Amino acid sequence: MAHETPRPGRLIAVEGSRGADVAREAETLVERLRARGIAAAISRWDASGLFADLLLADANDVVVTPRMLALLYAADLQFRLRWEIQPALAAGGIVVAAPYVHTAVGVGVGLTLPEAWLRNVLGFAPSPDAMRLARERKPRRGWRPKGSRGFGEFCVTVLAGSPSGCKPRAARARTMGWLSESGALTAVRRRALIESLAGYEQPAGSAAPVARADSQRT
Amino acid sequence: MASAPHDPSDLSAVIRNRDSRRGRLIAFEGPEGSGKTTQLRLLKTWLTSEGHDVVTSRWASSRLVKPLIKARKRLRVLSAEEYSLLHAVDFRHRLDTVILPALWAGKTVIADRYLFTALARDAARGLEFDWLLHVYAPLVWPDVVVYFALDPLDSSRRVAATRAPRFYESGQDVTGIEDPLTSYRQFIHRVIAEYDQLAVIFEFVKVDADQLVYRQHQQVRQIVQGAARRPWAKFSAEALTEWLTRHPDLAG
Repeated sequence: MAHETPRPGRLIAVEGSRGADVAREAETLVERLRARGIAAAISRWDASGLFADLLLADANDVVVTPRMLALLYAADLQFRLRWEIQPALAAGGIVVAAPYVHTAVGVGVGLTLPEAWLRNVLGFAPSPDAMRLARERKPRRGWRPKGSRGFGEFCVTVLAGSPSGCKPRAARARTMGWLSESGALTAVRRRALIESLAGYEQPAGSAAPVARADSQRT
Repeated sequence: MASAPHDPSDLSAVIRNRDSRRGRLIAFEGPEGSGKTTQLRLLKTWLTSEGHDVVTSRWASSRLVKPLIKARKRLRVLSAEEYSLLHAVDFRHRLDTVILPALWAGKTVIADRYLFTALARDAARGLEFDWLLHVYAPLVWPDVVVYFALDPLDSSRRVAATRAPRFYESGQDVTGIEDPLTSYRQFIHRVIAEYDQLAVIFEFVKVDADQLVYRQHQQVRQIVQGAARRPWAKFSAEALTEWLTRHPDLAG
């Protein structure tokens, strides 16, 4: 039966310090939703390819700072909002943004950037309807220099050559501390989140409106 | 190697002490066709002949970020915010790798467009001024901003005489007008209106870009000779502190 009023889209943010943990949590969440007949798309970090392109640059030119990396994250998030998140929400779909704003602020704080500046620069992003913190695995380890894994990992990869260096363990510890402190009040449990999305089940045989968002990634 | 003074008050002293030995930062601003690049070359030649070591930095020219911007401009896929953020990354890269090292070493830096270009163009694209200031924070104030003032019609005429304006330069992304020159004529009105407001806030020194080239050059010389330094400790302390924290060898 057709809906009389358009169903509002729902934006779920999955945040965490490690790229692999965030990706795993987002995939688990989407799988569980699908098992209930609810379609959801994932919007991933670096959909714009900006970070991947940066890794292709001549190593001598890759002199970056935490502020530059935060600005690049903001540019990438703009791309994701425009091409993935907002079209899917406008179609009444569910989007899992993994990661979203909190991760960027947390990683920035971990790299000693001022929180207020990070929030202001990322202020264009709409608040998510719900936020979930990914379970942090290997919490005593620092970020590994694997640039394609996630934002924190990318940062330590490219900051490693800077004159002041980068301490991956201390930076990740600060990020985790900030994420758990700031997310403690707003983060929700997975089961509660899935239950809150009751009513978004797809009628049998219908195409999921948000599925297109995933395929628009470049 | 000397150890880094991590205490911000130590860095404040380092910044204060450097102020008399650092180079001066001169920014050239103005609409397309106002003759900035010609005047930059003339000033550079004159300053060099006077014994100054001069470094120039052009807008959107960072070796790291320029290719990223260029590829996306070609595809015309940038929103106003992405356009602004990527130029901010380019600016900060040049600030950290070209402008601040040169100033610290006592060289004069002439910037062919500075962050005011972004503030004027991006505000003309409809972005909020406060957000733009955050994106470019913390600021490094130039010692003097020379603004080459030109009427919107003259700017359009001069640009049209040499080439068709490019997609983003002509503001086609926001005007939606298909003809680049028609779009430019409309967009440059907004940009110049934003420049006029910035001129008051950031104390630009105006040069009438309608004058003869040599007369403008004479005026630019006088402006540069008479320009007082804007003390780093008062105007640019946050940016300098952050930069020195990343360069402990300089702060030692």
